[in-house]
Amino acid sequence: MIGDIFAWLGDMENSKPLALILFFSTFVGIILYVYTGKKRKQRLESYKDIPFMDDDELDPTHEKKQQVKKDESNGK
Amino acid sequence: MSTTTASVATEQYNYGIVKKFAIMAMIWGVLGMLAGVYIASELAWPFLNFNIAEITFGRLRPVHTTLVIFGFGGSALFATSYYIVQRTCQARLWGGKLLPELTFWGWQLALVLGVITYMAGYTQGREYAEFVWPIDLLIAVVWVLYFAVYAMTLVKRSQPHIYVANWFFMGYILAVALLHIFNNLQVPVAWNSLESYALFGGVQDAMTQWWYGHNAVGFYLTVSFLGMMYYFVPKQAGRPIYSYRLSIVHFWALSFLYMWVGAHHLHWTALPDWVSTLAAAFSILLLLPSWGGMINGIMTLSGAWEKLRTDPIMLFLITALAFYGMSTFEGPMMSLKSVNALSHYTDWTIGHVHSGALGWVAMITIGSFYHLIPRLWGTTLYSTKLVFVHFWLATIGVVLYIVALWVAGIGQGLMLRAFDQYGNLAYTFIETVSFLHIPYVVRAIGGAFFLSGMLLMSYNIYMTISGARQPASDEGRDAVAAAAR
Amino acid sequence: MKHESIEINSGLLIVLTLAVISIGGLVEIVPLFHIEETVEDVDGVRPYTPLELRGRDIYVREGCYTCHSQMIRPFRDEQLRYGHYSLAAESQYDHPFQWGSKRTGPDLARVGGKYSNEWQTQHLVDPQSLVPESIMPGYPWLLENELDYSQIEDRMVALKRVGVPYSRSQEEYDANVEQFGADMADQLHVGNATEVLKSQAGAQNWDGDPNRITEMDALVAYLQMLGTMVDFSKYEDGHFNQFR
Repeated sequence: MIGDIFAWLGDMENSKPLALILFFSTFVGIILYVYTGKKRKQRLESYKDIPFMDDDELDPTHEKKQQVKKDESNGK
Repeated sequence: MSTTTASVATEQYNYGIVKKFAIMAMIWGVLGMLAGVYIASELAWPFLNFNIAEITFGRLRPVHTTLVIFGFGGSALFATSYYIVQRTCQARLWGGKLLPELTFWGWQLALVLGVITYMAGYTQGREYAEFVWPIDLLIAVVWVLYFAVYAMTLVKRSQPHIYVANWFFMGYILAVALLHIFNNLQVPVAWNSLESYALFGGVQDAMTQWWYGHNAVGFYLTVSFLGMMYYFVPKQAGRPIYSYRLSIVHFWALSFLYMWVGAHHLHWTALPDWVSTLAAAFSILLLLPSWGGMINGIMTLSGAWEKLRTDPIMLFLITALAFYGMSTFEGPMMSLKSVNALSHYTDWTIGHVHSGALGWVAMITIGSFYHLIPRLWGTTLYSTKLVFVHFWLATIGVVLYIVALWVAGIGQGLMLRAFDQYGNLAYTFIETVSFLHIPYVVRAIGGAFFLSGMLLMSYNIYMTISGARQPASDEGRDAVAAAAR
Repeated sequence: MKHESIEINSGLLIVLTLAVISIGGLVEIVPLFHIEETVEDVDGVRPYTPLELRGRDIYVREGCYTCHSQMIRPFRDEQLRYGHYSLAAESQYDHPFQWGSKRTGPDLARVGGKYSNEWQTQHLVDPQSLVPESIMPGYPWLLENELDYSQIEDRMVALKRVGVPYSRSQEEYDANVEQFGADMADQLHVGNATEVLKSQAGAQNWDGDPNRITEMDALVAYLQMLGTMVDFSKYEDGHFNQFR
């Protein structure tokens, strides 16, 4: 039985279905990994803020945001 | 206050190298597109070859492709990747002052030498890899340095997670290294000769070349510019990327699938059928991650669509993504063997390349540069109105270009396979050439539109930078800030 | 292994990316070197003579491949217009291949013998004088430039290194006599190169001027042999389909 499996694996003719199974399961694995788990979702999605973590520059939109914040705090 | 933070950023990050590459990208862009408009005009009005060897179409075409791909695209990628890796890793570029400078001068030297040698008639005769072997060696050295600088900056980052834009840049650096080395295996005629013969021949050489050729498009002109997209679209929109998880799937799927599809450039040739069938199948699969990435980019703007009315930079970035979506749909379609039988060898292919190159690559770069350059020089853009004008020039140019070549390609393809009632060919080859004249004229005009947009951008950027040199008065700044509000 | 470790380990990210991008190329390119049917076994296909080789160098130099293909596809219209579809064997000694990707002008894979030498020369100097609607540039300098064949032996040796059967030793020469016949074997012998080149340039009046060996001589000699090596009348119809 196990010998049959090895014979099948060793046959070059079967390399295409084998590769298909391997690559497809890797792909499904990545999808499952990425899209399951609440914690993981939170962790992964938190990384999208990285580009905004160094806003120390002359950025009109940024200044605008700060202005808004200031206005809000003044209002309160 | 703002000036002090700007100077802190300059010390923390190596902006000098980013500025240099950015300026050279603009210069090469204008020159490369000028060469493009010229050779397009040569096809419409062949007297423009003037019987001068150096400027005939055959020698000038590599000048055009090299300057726009490696000059404009390459310098823009160096600039943005060096900028993004520093800012998302919160680390200064590795390699001190010297190594990044070497990548700059090495790269510019390769381009200058490339242009001179092409016009003098030295070429390897491989599309997009025409550089002669000594320049190939120079490029290989520069690329290894680039890899080292980039990878070591990632290693010394202070941010624990590597932001996804950097994955895309890393993927592109690795893939281009692989492609460049294997496609340029040559045996020189003599050690002091610029000429050489390819290590592989015939069908193996064809496969290697188009494995290179298509992945130059895939990694050099797509994966890397997606890295640009994943940083500058969120930054300009002021909101994070739509889905970070989708970007991970996008990256792995694209990296895996792209390398299989090169052989769709060799449908119906002497290449064994199984290879081109495999390539066609993978080309279709490629549509999925491509559109996933496009949706990820465009949806970043969801809920803030009104920016498209007010912000021409955003307009550039989103239009670039739309063209990305369009050409990644057109590509798989053209890789179907039945469609390819008609489209291959015609101008449809050239039109397809340019909807990617002008619509996607150039537009995403232009948008990113309008965002990047004021920040590098710590100032604001000279004129937003000119950006709007540029946007329309560019868009009209691309549309004219693509439509003209659809007509040219499909028209010529149909004429060439037409038979009369007796089963003879309906048209001679030269009749199809006459048919191409008007589409060729329209194409040249479309290219000229795009070029004029680039010139306008150069002016805008020149004024922005020279304005930044003189310290602006506080009132001026306040006025700008007020305008931004 | 967790995906997280890739995300935070740049070395691992590099290694995995490299692995993922290598697979496609390996699967498609490597077998081409090992599967025997990739290149058919066909009589008549031979390396270029020294003069043709120099002609081919000029073809590459002028970037002819940017407008002309050398790869006929198996369609009825192409067969009528250009001839039998191209075989892999016919370009097996082409380093680099010049199949091309764009036909701004017609395919040249079987242009050899279709036009006279005079026509080719005149057409290259001033294409519009023969084909008024043509958009091809003129190449008058080919007629002015003396052909540089000083490095012809180096060129053949370089090609020999990449697998083209030019001969240097007696043994190799004998093998070529066996495969290509004595006359051709003489022309493919590196030691004879300069002499063979001169005599081939003089034997036919390629460019109309028998006194000089010009670049035009070489280019026309190359064009006139393109696609003429295989005698298709010797094979049954459909014989080559088995290799597709």
